[in-house]
Amino acid sequence: MMTLAPQTAQTPTDEDAAMPPRADCLADSAGGLTFDVAETGESGDTHLVLVHRDGLQEVRLPLAPAADGRLRAALPSGVALPEGRWDAFAQTGDGEPRRLTPGLNDLRSLVDRVPSGARGHVAVRIPYATKHGNLSIRSWLRAPHAEAGELHIGEGTLGVHGQVYGVALTPDAYVEPAGREETRPAPRFEIHRDQALFRFTVDYTALPEGVWDLWLRPAGESGPRVRIARLLDDIADKKPIFTYPKVTVDTAHGPVTAGPYYTGDNDLSITVTPTTP
Amino acid sequence: MQISFLIHNAYGIGGTIRTTYNLANTLAEQHDVEIVSVLRHREEPVFARNPRVRLRHLVDLRKGSPGYEGDDPEHLKPARVFPKGEIRYEQYSALTDRRIAGHLSTVDADVVVGTRPGLNVHLARETRRGPARVGQEHLTLDSHSVGLRTELRGAYPRLDAVTTTTEADATAYRTKMRLPGVRVEAVPNSVPAPGIEPADGTGKWVVAAGRLAPVKRYDLLIRAFDLVRAERPDWRLRIYGSGKQKDKLRHLIDELGLYNHVLLMGAANPIEPEWAKGSIAAVTSSLESFGMTIVEAMRCGLPVVSTDCPHGPGEIIDNGVDGRLVPVGNVQAIAGGLLELINDDALRRQMADAALKDSERFDPSRIAERYESIFNGLVSRGGTSKIGRVRGSLHRTRGALLGSAYAVRDAGLTVFGKERSA
Repeated sequence: MMTLAPQTAQTPTDEDAAMPPRADCLADSAGGLTFDVAETGESGDTHLVLVHRDGLQEVRLPLAPAADGRLRAALPSGVALPEGRWDAFAQTGDGEPRRLTPGLNDLRSLVDRVPSGARGHVAVRIPYATKHGNLSIRSWLRAPHAEAGELHIGEGTLGVHGQVYGVALTPDAYVEPAGREETRPAPRFEIHRDQALFRFTVDYTALPEGVWDLWLRPAGESGPRVRIARLLDDIADKKPIFTYPKVTVDTAHGPVTAGPYYTGDNDLSITVTPTTP
Repeated sequence: MQISFLIHNAYGIGGTIRTTYNLANTLAEQHDVEIVSVLRHREEPVFARNPRVRLRHLVDLRKGSPGYEGDDPEHLKPARVFPKGEIRYEQYSALTDRRIAGHLSTVDADVVVGTRPGLNVHLARETRRGPARVGQEHLTLDSHSVGLRTELRGAYPRLDAVTTTTEADATAYRTKMRLPGVRVEAVPNSVPAPGIEPADGTGKWVVAAGRLAPVKRYDLLIRAFDLVRAERPDWRLRIYGSGKQKDKLRHLIDELGLYNHVLLMGAANPIEPEWAKGSIAAVTSSLESFGMTIVEAMRCGLPVVSTDCPHGPGEIIDNGVDGRLVPVGNVQAIAGGLLELINDDALRRQMADAALKDSERFDPSRIAERYESIFNGLVSRGGTSKIGRVRGSLHRTRGALLGSAYAVRDAGLTVFGKERSA
């Protein structure tokens, strides 16, 4: 662990020029982000450029002079940022865009975040360091959204607690697991609801082997399908941090090992695999 | 003043390296400062360097660099001056011996500072007459092997000052080593103010950070948090860091059913924004040679609940004022300390304010002043006058003789004893 000295406006030297520019990120509880970078010393307008990994979409934000010789760009919650991973660059004039590296990411307002969901959607942007040490933004845009909270591992069951945003739960609501390779109709799990809060229990023995993605049908068959996911905090990649015990369950086809996990997109899924003796 | 630091590897990551940059960067505002790195294995240092601090290396280990010296036959021969009992011994060689000796015999400085015991031995034996010789201890005397302690007894009398990070360790040096005329001073490590707002104390999170190593006793912290959860299930714990204990700790979390309450976060860099997400910090170590994370957390506005282990925590935390000290190894006591602060919002905020204020004494500017005053004292004592120089060298000769006497007594303890009188 280390301390990064604050970048002040120093006269750039040759050595500084070789160093990649660093951006400090500040998140607000509404989902907006502010980026601070040191002055480049080059002439021309500077932009923060976010490039989607699909290579097609690009968002350009002006980096305007702020205090202490630094440049600041804002990505307000109201500006839509389609779902995916966005790589961050700084570009002055029509010069070569320079990949940004993460400085201080102050994401405290994202921890235990409870958005209003009033606009019918939930927007989440989490800055993170890539494995190469560069700055990228992970974005989710869900309308509506079903947030997973505490999970409870029982004997042969998984209890899930959650909350919906941007949609109401009706008496017809249920949870529908969708098999990645399974084409047979899947079982349904009924939910208990308390206004926007819901909970349900998955009986592992009801799931054939395979990977099962959990979907919420808040208004029953006729309404939307909402992927259950865990998005509302400061952790860009849930999989390695939110891990849960697996349990072994006896089924008609022999013993299986089952457990929940978060996918690369932080969606909640279940694996059911034959237990190897 | 001209100040020259000698460090194992200024291009790596670690507590000593970070604290050396903090100190050198601050001293460079007033003085001429250089860092000499014995080894260099990468292009750029990880830690930020004040451009006024000069940085150079003695042996180039950058793979693929035209100056690469890792295959030099001299580098494959074992070191003779660098002490065998040092944990870094394997990384030193006849080549490092020669380069370090060459550097110290010509060093252009008023003060030379060694940053680990093996380098302090070089400093004591090989620094040209003139500069004051300061040996820093970043671990503790008691943590060294018998062989290394014997070696240090022989060499350290020829230093002008030894600095430790705690008073407890300074006392150990004063009582267990015979160091006539050598100034022994405790100077804590410095921690800069974080570049972000301090924690506001509203988040229901306890935060811990450090290597996932047995000495940190995170198993106790997790068990203590099981007791916390029984009373306050709305609070949770984040542990930052990586290490060999990870799977064991993961297993313990699952066994106790704490997977909704205790998160193993992995390594975080920088750590300050992570402290700021919590409202209480926890340290459950059985040993902390200083306790850098305690100061870091306090500077981010967190009161720390820490075991009162040797050596640092008790010298950093003012018990009941800016944090809470609890007995070592006691799960109930750790949980009690955490719950005391969890259950009393007013007390927690009051301690958080005190932690912010009290940790200012570790600011690099204050710590640099302490060093400055020690250096000034040594430079005026050694002086540039002829008399001063003679006095200085007399003290060193006497020290060397006394050191040899100790070495003879200890010779039976170690096979390295023979090298002592060199």
